[in-house]
Amino acid sequence: MKVVTGVVGNDIHVVANRLIELSLHARGFEVFNLGVNTYLEEFFDAVVETDADILLISSLNGEAEGWSREIKILKSKYKNLDNLVMVIGGNLVVGTASPETIVPKYKNYGFDLVFHQVDLNTGLDTLEEFLKERNK
Amino acid sequence: MSLLQEERKIILGNEYVDNFDFAEVEDFVKNASKDLFISYNFKTKNKMLVQPRGGFPTYKKQFALNKFFVEANVDVLPLTIDSNTRLNDYATAKKMLRLSEENEIDMLNGYPLVNHGYRTTRKMITHFNKPVSLRHGTPDARLLIETAIASGIFEIEGGPITYLLPYSKNFPLDKAFLYWKYVEKVCANYSKLNEPINRESFGPLTATLVPPAITIAIQLLEMLLSLEEGVKSFSVSFSQTGSMNQDIVMGAVIKKLAKHYANEINCDDTTINLVYHQWMGAFPTNKDFAEQLINMSTVIASMVGADKIITKTREEASGIPTKEANAKTVASTQYTLGILNGLPNIVDEEEEEILTLEVKAIMEAVFNDEADTLWRKVFNSIKNGTIDVPFSPHIINHNEMITIRDANKNIRIIKRGNVPISDRCFEYEKSKCDLTKDTTSIVNDIIHDIGIMQ
Repeated sequence: MKVVTGVVGNDIHVVANRLIELSLHARGFEVFNLGVNTYLEEFFDAVVETDADILLISSLNGEAEGWSREIKILKSKYKNLDNLVMVIGGNLVVGTASPETIVPKYKNYGFDLVFHQVDLNTGLDTLEEFLKERNK
Repeated sequence: MSLLQEERKIILGNEYVDNFDFAEVEDFVKNASKDLFISYNFKTKNKMLVQPRGGFPTYKKQFALNKFFVEANVDVLPLTIDSNTRLNDYATAKKMLRLSEENEIDMLNGYPLVNHGYRTTRKMITHFNKPVSLRHGTPDARLLIETAIASGIFEIEGGPITYLLPYSKNFPLDKAFLYWKYVEKVCANYSKLNEPINRESFGPLTATLVPPAITIAIQLLEMLLSLEEGVKSFSVSFSQTGSMNQDIVMGAVIKKLAKHYANEINCDDTTINLVYHQWMGAFPTNKDFAEQLINMSTVIASMVGADKIITKTREEASGIPTKEANAKTVASTQYTLGILNGLPNIVDEEEEEILTLEVKAIMEAVFNDEADTLWRKVFNSIKNGTIDVPFSPHIINHNEMITIRDANKNIRIIKRGNVPISDRCFEYEKSKCDLTKDTTSIVNDIIHDIGIMQ
């Protein structure tokens, strides 16, 4: 399966991004890594270009919320993205907030899976289970 | 008028520059106190020079910081530049400086040198009469370094590779090479007037599991690019790796090879010094532990035989340090250096040989590139992955090399990518690591290896 991944917004934190690429690769995914500092349009363009099944966005500086608000509007401008699995993870808030408030918020923005300060492998295990369930 | 002088006139005609007086600046450099030149301090002070990090937006706060440093017996003062100036956004820097001055809150993470201008800044620098090192991260530093030298700052850190690959996603690397060529030329020209202006490369790079061979190759290439333009005093640098033995080996190899490659281009009259950065990765939040780490770094710097050490503070994990914490490290580092006597001489011949072979293989591959000039060869080598910096955010970086720590915490290469490490060296590197694990546990190990000091 194909995954497009990258860090959203003006966020230059690259270490986890590289580790996500390595881990996805190790789990057998075909990875298209857009790296840090990536805008939403670039993510969706890459999904269309690569015909990806999954979009995995990450954020460390907490800016993701500001960007995520626009996802639905933007996504509606693209055709054939209805089956795209949308995942976001990292540190999803500036300051602190509990997952109970964050997860529903991001699901509302259009994400299927939301990982706020979740360990990388736990997150990817959950993703694989989600995909298995969906493809039954 | 030379092309360079024409370019300088355009750069210094910038609307944020208050009438740059070329003749006056030249005269100032010619008659400047020798104490302001770090190159002179390297020659005359028989000790490892201690330099902290630090920069505040307002003149007042920067002056107060310097005063603290001087009272703590500092050898070299830092001047760290704010992020807007680093991106040539002088308009924002100006606005934020005004807000900082009016509200007593710091709206910038450093000193906006271009906005303060050289006439003002020179007053501070000549007042303290200590060498000042310019710390920034600027791809296009032309205006910044002109202002710095005119202010009396005679050490310029950075370079086209080391200020690009760790700091930027898509600033064009070829442009950075040309902008830095200007910097080297201006430094070389001013060096003819008094003591030489020192150029220093930024060895820590991403400070995340960068293997010694890559760090050294990049240090040597930036050194050669600088020497080519006539710079007469250059500092190569690297940061604490996490293994004392690897640091000592790196120090020995970089010193030997820097001299070797400088001689190859007939620059044996150039002075080359070694700078050591205290641990540049994530720091422990426990401030007492942070102090222990800093102290250990100082001991290793002595074992490495560094000519200058750049310090951290006990507040590293929590943000920009206060001037008190910053000065405290300077004083304790000086104390540690003073009591460190009778250091043993440690030589690890096997490790030195492997590392030397690795660096030479990379250098040879760069020189063998078909381009006509050195900067183009280096540019091509980064593009095709001959030089590959782990965890660089820049789109040009190859990102194929993978490194991990062995049982003694040495950084080892377990995937070469396109970096021309010979089979012998590669087998040696791999033989030190446990590679029977699956990739998922190796990724977990990497996460752990990055944060070993926390």
